[in-house]
Amino acid sequence: MREELRRKAGEAWAFRTRVEREAARRFARLAAAIAAFDAESPVPALMRQAAEDEHRHAALCADLSAVYGQPVGAAAENAAIAPGSLGARAAVLYEVVASCCITETESVATLTTLLAEPVEPRVERVLREIARDEVVHGRIGWAHLAREASISDVSFLSPWIPAMLAGTVGEGLFASAGADLESRELLRHGVLPHSLKRSIFIGTLEGVVFPGLEKFGISPLPARQWLSNSAARSQLG
Amino acid sequence: MLFKKLFQVLVVGGAVMGATSGCSTPAGSRQTTLSKGEGGGEGVASDAGTARTAQGSDGGVAPDAGGGGVMGW
Repeated sequence: MREELRRKAGEAWAFRTRVEREAARRFARLAAAIAAFDAESPVPALMRQAAEDEHRHAALCADLSAVYGQPVGAAAENAAIAPGSLGARAAVLYEVVASCCITETESVATLTTLLAEPVEPRVERVLREIARDEVVHGRIGWAHLAREASISDVSFLSPWIPAMLAGTVGEGLFASAGADLESRELLRHGVLPHSLKRSIFIGTLEGVVFPGLEKFGISPLPARQWLSNSAARSQLG
Repeated sequence: MLFKKLFQVLVVGGAVMGATSGCSTPAGSRQTTLSKGEGGGEGVASDAGTARTAQGSDGGVAPDAGGGGVMGW
């Protein structure tokens, strides 16, 4: 395996370790917040389990990061991400939609795509274990959104979806990447080549996230505009 | 095909999961909407997040600044 490829794979697994650690803390915090206003909901218990899952995932990712020779580094602090103008319950919904309906849904699509390719056995074991849990984590978000939409108008989230998306991926996703990041060999190590990653991200938005939001009364139009503008900017650049 | 299946598994499956235990309650009788500006008396909304804020996002007309997103795989 070429050193540059090994480094890219290691960086991806180190990044995922940090993502999983942050997710563990977020799930634990959101579980407590939701239990405070929706005692009947199954979501807090599922989120507490998800937090445990994410700790396990982080350990798995860290192991692979070490295999590829990359240090993990420190995870970001457990900061809430909702705009300050939202009240407490709306802020929780914002964060659940951003972290589960968008990010976890995208993660499931990424994992499913990776598992359809020939992958190193050690990597495949990790991908399969994580994928099994991430499906539940994605569902948790849609479950909470469904509950909130059943009692209230959640359409106020529509203009916020672009902010969620902008925080989910870097601008670099829409730009072209170097040959190393486009190498199909990355797939064997559990990493999507850049253009495939972009394609899966957009496909998941168009085929899963946007229709899902619309199902619960959240217009995807601002998000579609954001996507269109992001793609256009990359072509201009 | 992948995306259709994911929609069924995640979105539809999630909605079913959310409906398994009673209906969501509007936090006593005080709260009947989750719309912008809600939140009086139920705690302080979080400040702008540091995970990834939406600086430079374009196309979406955010009603005010400060929303962010969550990075994933």
